[in-house]
Amino acid sequence: MFEIANAFVASFFQLFSGSVLLLMTVGIVSGFAVGILPGLGGPTTLALMLPFIFQMKPIEAFAFLLGMAAVTATTGDITSILFGIPGEPTTAATIVDGHPMAKKGEAGRALGAALMSSLVGAIFGAFALALSIPVVRPLVLAFGSPEFFMLALLGITFVAALSGEDPLKGLVSGALGLLLATVGLDPVSGIERYTLGQLFLWDGIGLVPVTIGLFAIPEIIDLAVEQTSIARQQVGKIGGVMEGVKDTFRHWGLVMRCSAIGTYAGIIPGMGGAVSQWLAYAHAQQTAKNPEQFGKGAVEGVLGPGAANNSTLGGAMIPTTVFGVPGSVMTAILLGAFIIHGIVPGPDMLIPEARGGHLLLTFSFVWVIVLSNILTVGICLLFLQPLIKLTQIRAGLLMPFILLLIYLGAYAEKNTFEDLLIVLAIGLLGWLMVIFDWQRPPLLLGLVLGPLAENRLFISMDNFGLAWMWRPGVLLIFAVILFGLFYPRIKKRRERKKKAVSVSVEQSLTEKPETAAPAPAAPLRLKFGRAALFTLSIVLLTAWALWEGRNFDFHSGLFPWTIGISLFVLATIQLGVDLLGKKLGTGAAGSAQTRSEVPKRVARLRTARICAWNFGYCLAVWLFGFSLAIPLITFLYLKAEAREKWWMSIVLTFAAWAFFYALFDRFLHVPFPTGKLFS
Amino acid sequence: MKLRRIVLVPLVILGWMAAATAQEPFYKSKTMRIVVGFSAGGGFDTYSRVLSRHMVRHIPGSPTIIIENMTGAGSLIAANHLYKVAKPDGLTVGHFIGGLFLGQVLGQKGIQFDARKFEYIGAPVRDHSVCALSKASGVTSLEHWLAAKTPLKMGGVAPGSSTPDNVTRVLRTALNLPIQVVTGYKGTADVRLAVDGGELAGGCWGWDSVSATWRKALSSGDVVVVLQAGRKPHPDLPNVPLAIKLAKSEDARQLIEVAIHDDAETLRTYTLPPGTPKDRVRILQKAFADTLKDPEFLAEAKKANLGVDPVSGEEIEKIIAGFFKLSPGFLAKLKEVLYG
Repeated sequence: MFEIANAFVASFFQLFSGSVLLLMTVGIVSGFAVGILPGLGGPTTLALMLPFIFQMKPIEAFAFLLGMAAVTATTGDITSILFGIPGEPTTAATIVDGHPMAKKGEAGRALGAALMSSLVGAIFGAFALALSIPVVRPLVLAFGSPEFFMLALLGITFVAALSGEDPLKGLVSGALGLLLATVGLDPVSGIERYTLGQLFLWDGIGLVPVTIGLFAIPEIIDLAVEQTSIARQQVGKIGGVMEGVKDTFRHWGLVMRCSAIGTYAGIIPGMGGAVSQWLAYAHAQQTAKNPEQFGKGAVEGVLGPGAANNSTLGGAMIPTTVFGVPGSVMTAILLGAFIIHGIVPGPDMLIPEARGGHLLLTFSFVWVIVLSNILTVGICLLFLQPLIKLTQIRAGLLMPFILLLIYLGAYAEKNTFEDLLIVLAIGLLGWLMVIFDWQRPPLLLGLVLGPLAENRLFISMDNFGLAWMWRPGVLLIFAVILFGLFYPRIKKRRERKKKAVSVSVEQSLTEKPETAAPAPAAPLRLKFGRAALFTLSIVLLTAWALWEGRNFDFHSGLFPWTIGISLFVLATIQLGVDLLGKKLGTGAAGSAQTRSEVPKRVARLRTARICAWNFGYCLAVWLFGFSLAIPLITFLYLKAEAREKWWMSIVLTFAAWAFFYALFDRFLHVPFPTGKLFS
Repeated sequence: MKLRRIVLVPLVILGWMAAATAQEPFYKSKTMRIVVGFSAGGGFDTYSRVLSRHMVRHIPGSPTIIIENMTGAGSLIAANHLYKVAKPDGLTVGHFIGGLFLGQVLGQKGIQFDARKFEYIGAPVRDHSVCALSKASGVTSLEHWLAAKTPLKMGGVAPGSSTPDNVTRVLRTALNLPIQVVTGYKGTADVRLAVDGGELAGGCWGWDSVSATWRKALSSGDVVVVLQAGRKPHPDLPNVPLAIKLAKSEDARQLIEVAIHDDAETLRTYTLPPGTPKDRVRILQKAFADTLKDPEFLAEAKKANLGVDPVSGEEIEKIIAGFFKLSPGFLAKLKEVLYG
């Protein structure tokens, strides 16, 4: 025990020897930039940096790589809050409340909260790594495929919590995500599902274009319609940042619980930050005193995911170090670094150096994560003021850059042009979902968890037949699921009862006939509005998916059929609700969007224009390739749409092109397709 | 890195000016691209990045080599791109999974190339598959395995994947091994975890990977290699039974030869678009072979645990030509084994 504690302390001082600290800083700076840019994820950068670690010592190499990995989730939050574009796929949940805060002029507070909760989460995850090291092996080995399946199922039940005040729409949205997740080659039988004969759909629909489409496109349409700056109201003074920092401590319990959620999701291979952020968000909403504020700028909605997506790294490092089984894409690449340095992850990592192990190195991971996060948050706090100013720039100037980030980001994940089309399609869906007041997070959760659940279910069946259901771990998680599903309801009922007793006297005096059943003679009036039309298209899409899937065999069909039928039923009920013009749930779920003062006719015109620019962007990229389309569209937008001065348009166009060319073309060698006109 | 760039750029410019007058090699001050069909950080990518850094020295004119990741459809998108889109000027090299060559013969969907028309540079390594079983499975030798009453559960990642799936399925048929393939794991790391946790009995894939990632369990005897599939025994494994020697019938031997040995040798092929000028093909083939003998490269490859066991471009061409001579009957049988 003393030996371990000793190693823990010694590993801290190791960071201050030689060039470890310097290399860590280099890593942090690269991670910083990468985190801010959407689409350019931590994994890509880590892989690109891998060749440079050959000349380094192990501790230097990991300080460099882990420092880079540790900060992407933090700086990704910044993009999410400021522009409503996810800086990383793991920071999408921060948008839901962080961006509305920015719009309300509270960007400072949101950023402060995100940064501080990120720091707390990262430290939590790092220490979880340190503490779990001696005990984790049997714990993880107790988890087989059946337990992984149940955990995925547990994650899916969070859809209910993410659905807010309209559970039916939330379920439809979640099921839609699960159905989208079945697109691609079925992992067990290799059969194509819903690929429409397109090779690029074989790998399924990517998380990055869906996240960007779902969140960023509605935001830029909104921005174009309002034609203000991102911050609609006056931006508060610098005090906002401190306010956000204080919020972290005001909601200390929440931040700690969400850190735990993040760590745990990180340990489970296949889950990671993309899932944990939503679990944390759902948890924050479920436990909040003001759940109706969520989606409109509740600070708890920033704190939860902020903590969770950072604590995930510490969690994901646990199976990576102890088993050599990476918990996420980033740790998978770190595993490559282990091998380059001749270190075999496994029990050796937990044995002190004196006896031929690598305990010192393992503990240094903890300190690198802690230190790099402290440094990042420190740097961020210094530069926060100019960042917040970005939200005050007028829409016309900002728009071409946001468009650039959206389409470049969508492209850069997999380097496929078709992902731009997915952004457009999902963008349309996301925009309609905002208009008709549908929750978007359940869709993302379904998309991420669907493949995990499906895969592990069939592996469980192949391995154990039906007997997997009686494993103790499975039953335990099942109990947790039931508890999670029913406890809030029981709690609510109990509270209602309590309330009912206390107000019953009052109520008996003021009771009005409105609680009575509606008059039976009231004629049934059907209202076929736009909302119903949207729901109808979901019903039709599902019907098509079921028809298309009629020839799947049992293996590849079970999931699409089950999800498809449930979705069909749910969506049809929703259609009925829309037609009757009623709303389910407790109250009128007000639109998440702030009421616009723009006249309807103008708004419609501006919407049409921004949609045209979006289509134009993709078309230009297709025709001319990125290198020509970017300066072309940027300039045209600035001059023709925003009516900026000549010099301003030229300078900004050059800036956009230089950014693209220097970073993506020269430095990262992203393979950009040549335009159709030139090939 | 930045520093390196600052130093390099003026150097390149200087070199370019100096060479402008002389008769210069084709690759002088050119930029070559290696289009890798998998994402950055994976095995195909790592090989290419390490290889490209050293290959520069062996190509006359020392071009700049950059790596581009064109992912999708198990690298089929990159393969089709190389065939249909890439210019055959000797500046674009493709690196996609070699299983696609056999895939064309077997009529795999989505293939838009004709493997006979590509030019082949070579492959840096031939995979040497082994089957490793956990001690907990109760089977630690081939004799035990052949006599096992219940089939052993062996992990796979996806049907049609060279390793572990194809190797496992072929061995099951060719050697009558009692095996139940459980496929769908994310990768061999997940298979390994499932074996450690007792869900699976073992798995069959490349020795380089098994020996690196399972080192501890192998040395403690918790995991045992009971079978290997290569043309010759691996130097590390002189006493482990060799699959091809155990095959009883001609059919079984051919199955192992084609679906394991041939596939393993073409797995990591570097390919050029059809119609690439022959002199440039030669230059690259020679540079490739020289790089694989370069001590600096070998030292780095060893460090990164990248096995080196070169296969020449001609050998690969011969193997692929062989695929197209297989009888329809054999192909039907192979299809049944791999996908049935």
